[in-house]
Amino acid sequence: MDEPLLVADELVAGYVTGVDILRGCGAELGAGEIVGVIGPNGAGKSTLVKAMFGLLRVRTGSVRLRGADVTNRPAHELVSRGIGYVPQRQNVFATLTVEENLRMGTYLRPRRFTERRDFVEELFPLLAKRRNQKAGSMSGGERQMLAMGRALMMEPEVLLLDEPSAGLSPAYQDQVFARVKEINSTGVAIFMVEQNARRCLQICDRGYVLDQGTNAYTGTGHQLLHDEKVIELYLGTLARAR
Amino acid sequence: MRNFRLLVPLLAVLFVALAPGTAAAQGDEVVTGPGFGARALQALLDGVQFGAIIAITAVGLSLVFGTTHLINFAHGELVTIGAVVAFFLNISAGLHLVVAALIAVLIGALVGAILQLGLWAPLRRRGVGMINMFIVTIGLSLLLRHVILIFFGTRPQSYREYDIQRAIDLGPVGITPRDLTIVLISVGLLVGVALMLQKTRIGTAIRALSSNRDLAEASGIDVNRVVLVVWTLGGGLAAIGGVFFGLTEIITWDMGFRLLLLMFAGIILGGLGTAYGAMVGSFVVGIVAQMSSLWFPIDLQNAWALLALILVLLIRPQGILGQRERVG
Repeated sequence: MDEPLLVADELVAGYVTGVDILRGCGAELGAGEIVGVIGPNGAGKSTLVKAMFGLLRVRTGSVRLRGADVTNRPAHELVSRGIGYVPQRQNVFATLTVEENLRMGTYLRPRRFTERRDFVEELFPLLAKRRNQKAGSMSGGERQMLAMGRALMMEPEVLLLDEPSAGLSPAYQDQVFARVKEINSTGVAIFMVEQNARRCLQICDRGYVLDQGTNAYTGTGHQLLHDEKVIELYLGTLARAR
Repeated sequence: MRNFRLLVPLLAVLFVALAPGTAAAQGDEVVTGPGFGARALQALLDGVQFGAIIAITAVGLSLVFGTTHLINFAHGELVTIGAVVAFFLNISAGLHLVVAALIAVLIGALVGAILQLGLWAPLRRRGVGMINMFIVTIGLSLLLRHVILIFFGTRPQSYREYDIQRAIDLGPVGITPRDLTIVLISVGLLVGVALMLQKTRIGTAIRALSSNRDLAEASGIDVNRVVLVVWTLGGGLAAIGGVFFGLTEIITWDMGFRLLLLMFAGIILGGLGTAYGAMVGSFVVGIVAQMSSLWFPIDLQNAWALLALILVLLIRPQGILGQRERVG
């Protein structure tokens, strides 16, 4: 059987020596899929995506892209291999203009800038109107659009999103999830970590529930949305908290 | 806040009112020299020249801070290395100063690159914290300064060419061809750096890295390569600044260290981490330092430049060109 596009296998990683945040968790992403990762605060969701993207050192375990080992490869190398990443916070170059942000998205292939900018601006028309605006003066929702646009500039096969709806107004949250579906429909596989578990599972093909750095539950988005234990332990808790 | 905005013009009016030139009108037997206006213009011109030298050295320091967050206390020694290398090539090897200066710039750039590859990159790879690295820069500064002292000695020296020149008369002010050339080359280099930062791919990458290191990496930018370019550029600019500083004053073993505080003042005044801010701030520091000598002893000129720094920060805490980011 062919290996999925991106595989994280039994990852152990953490920020401080001797303290593991990820304790053997893993995930798989097939071509053209949307995969969501949910879980309580501190479960290791963002840590997982950072470890997969080479921003955090993996202590044991492996990350494979199209079957090739890319564990602990630098992020810029993963970008050139077709992975895009949108961080949760500080996801734009605040002192650069919108156009310069997009230009940095094609740093490795500058000749493709115009073609890719046109594609991204079609997806996010707002960016076309704000080309010369400094990214630091945009609202959180607008920045999220720019951040996704920048990550798409290299025409990635895989897009890693770290809590794309965090801190946004409900209207912008709707836009983010709609855009994620739209991006996915262009053939980009999406691996998304989300706090808004219910909305995330509604658009995901498959989902993982992380708890304390390990995989607690796995299933299709629909299965997890209707799983009694997941509802009781995660979705219910989150719903009550709201 | 409105009161603070009024503070600077009020101080300016006060300084003009206290101008020594106005007192001369009351005395009958005062020896007539250039009027206050002419002396002020001359001080302004000297300030622009001094500011240009501070700016050319401070830009590299600012770019290094912007891209790595390292406060490099040893940047002054890169300035001294430029001046001293040019001195040895000029005096001992007998090369013309222009050739000596060009070689000194290449060596300055090489020293910057070697420091990044041999010291800062390995320390960063090992996860050494910024405070620890800051202390390392202080140690490196001491080490380099005393190595220079061993080779150069304590005696102030001058270059063989362009030592004494007659000033070109420009109406109320005068400037020597040497100083005019220094100002023009410095401004040309600063414009070149600004264009490079604004218009080229590597320049935008440097600004992107200064804005957000993790995101730069996530965008495919080879961060270590960009930082190497910054150190090389910073070393070269510091070296040419050192040659200019040695030409306008004298060459000493600790000349760069004496300039370091003014470089920091220029960078902070202009807005920490922005290269354009460093340029603007350095000119302000240079002009304030030179113009203060109209009213106060010349020994205090650096103190007035630092006072200007405090005043500007009280009015605009992010510096002249520093920007506050929108939250939410």
